[in-house]
Amino acid sequence: MVTNKGIFIIAAVITVMLFISIYSFNLFLNTQRERVVVERMKDVLEEYQEIQALSLMSDVFGKDMTCLSLESRLAQMDKTLWDTGVKIDRYREATEKFITDPFYLDQKRKFNRNEIIYFSLLQNMKQWCTFNQTTILYFYKKKEECPWCDAQAFVLTDLNKEIDSEIAIFSFDSDLGLPSIRTLELFYKIDSYPCTVIEDSTYCGLHDKNEMIDLLCKHEDISLCS
Amino acid sequence: MMLGYSILVHIVWFLSTYFIVVFLLTLLKNKSNLYKSPEFSKNDALPKVSIVISAYNEEEKIAESIESLKTIDYPKEMYEVIIVNDGSEDNTKNIVLKYADGKNITFIDNTENKGKAACLNQGIKIAKGDYVACMDADSTVSKDILRKTTPYFKDSKTGAVTVSVEVKNANNFLQRIIQMEYMLGLSLFLKVFSSFNCVHVTPGPFSIYRKSVLEKIGYFDKGNITEDLEIAYRIHKSGFNIRNCMSTHVKTVTPDNVKSLYRQRRRWYSGALITLWQHKDILLKRNAGLFGYFIPYNYSLITFGLGLFLLSTYLTISNAIKNISLYAFTNYNFFSNLSLNFDLLSLSIFGIFGLSGIIGMIMLVTVGLKTIRNSPRKNPSLYFGYFLLFFMYQAFWLASFFLVLFRRKVKW
Repeated sequence: MVTNKGIFIIAAVITVMLFISIYSFNLFLNTQRERVVVERMKDVLEEYQEIQALSLMSDVFGKDMTCLSLESRLAQMDKTLWDTGVKIDRYREATEKFITDPFYLDQKRKFNRNEIIYFSLLQNMKQWCTFNQTTILYFYKKKEECPWCDAQAFVLTDLNKEIDSEIAIFSFDSDLGLPSIRTLELFYKIDSYPCTVIEDSTYCGLHDKNEMIDLLCKHEDISLCS
Repeated sequence: MMLGYSILVHIVWFLSTYFIVVFLLTLLKNKSNLYKSPEFSKNDALPKVSIVISAYNEEEKIAESIESLKTIDYPKEMYEVIIVNDGSEDNTKNIVLKYADGKNITFIDNTENKGKAACLNQGIKIAKGDYVACMDADSTVSKDILRKTTPYFKDSKTGAVTVSVEVKNANNFLQRIIQMEYMLGLSLFLKVFSSFNCVHVTPGPFSIYRKSVLEKIGYFDKGNITEDLEIAYRIHKSGFNIRNCMSTHVKTVTPDNVKSLYRQRRRWYSGALITLWQHKDILLKRNAGLFGYFIPYNYSLITFGLGLFLLSTYLTISNAIKNISLYAFTNYNFFSNLSLNFDLLSLSIFGIFGLSGIIGMIMLVTVGLKTIRNSPRKNPSLYFGYFLLFFMYQAFWLASFFLVLFRRKVKW
């Protein structure tokens, strides 16, 4: 049984090729991740344009005609936004284990802007139509500055899964430095993180699931109140 | 921490992948030669061989070992058996005395426990053979073991020959996994390593040495707890090769529970580290041939692998604690956040490295077992157990590092 030195060289070449393949595959996954996020954001934008059209139509054809359509579109958008937010966070985590990718930061900004648009439309809807979804605004910062933010997000995710149709949660990343988010923070007097706003009332600090249900029940008679 | 983790992942991936690729290429290239061994021609006279056994409290196994030696297919006048009692406190002495005839089977009775290496040296010094086989008292050999191994010494550079080590008593699940491990690690791997002259151990159950080489290098090191490993270093240092013969085997007993496995491995791994330190002068030295590079490569892989194992364990446990503590805020509603949807796009670069590493290891084990004759049944549970054992060994390595660093005494 013999081995010539050529085997060591061939093995080195194969190992390097495998390494390049892994990085190429990762690059492919990165591209796919970005493609999925961009498509999701496009969907969100289309949903928004549809809602905007319906909103304008309501001025011309009357609220009764458009409220029903608006309600279904907003419910749809709520789900699309939520899924997109989850995907952005998950893909950002998969991509940014080692490097900081500006793409996801950019998408996160766009996502937060869309959330504000959706939130504003929802507020209008509540005035025009008999649409009574409870709105929750959630303001957070990065872990180093807000050690309890992960826990609060976990509680809200759990609640959203349980009573998805009854609440609409908007999560805002205060680290992004968006003027619109800053305006909301000033309006709702956000001075510490995590901070939750339920129907215009501000509750800063961490609230577990039971406390959050109690706070929700103060404002709306949701199914968990019984 | 993530930067350190990333560097470790890359180092371990490179070292392990290169090792796997070299192994597989060598195996594929020599697939048809694995079981071929040199033979004596009709004109060659068979050499005289001495088989030395050190026995300490072996009353249950020694008779079986001697019986297997009596059935060896080799002229009776051309081999002798020397059994050295290492101060046994049981009935070993009386059992051996039944077989000892002072001619073919010689018995040396030591009343005090000197240690295995000292007893082997005692036997080697009175051995009449040109070649000396050292064997464990709890092992049995195949009939053709001398006819298959001695022709390797026709090459004057051969200092020692090792054989396939098989498991005698694979009764429980752990022993069946160890059987698989021995077939790979103490047979096929040594065969592949021998092709680039990097056999790092002459396994205790049965290995045969050129007597003049043993004399030249000063016999076994009495102070080393892994004398079969240590002597391999000195054989390489003295410029001789260690060959492996897969076409014959020795059967040996294995630990039957995790505790005794830990004790065995603690001795092996601590001994390996002590030997490495003892022979640090061989590392990266050209005159030691590839062996001088193979050893640091091997131990770098073990050390970095251990570092990665520790860091991964720390990150996994801290993540698990963090996740479980998060559930405390939702009344431990575990099912609400449970998602069974697999999203390939969520796979990070570390996930891909990890997956490729697992695939590489499965390939190594599968191809290895496929090339071994009489390999154990390819049972998925054995594969799973083998990988589980691999993780367990990381803990054993850690314990051994600790013992060596803090100079704790490791006993047999």
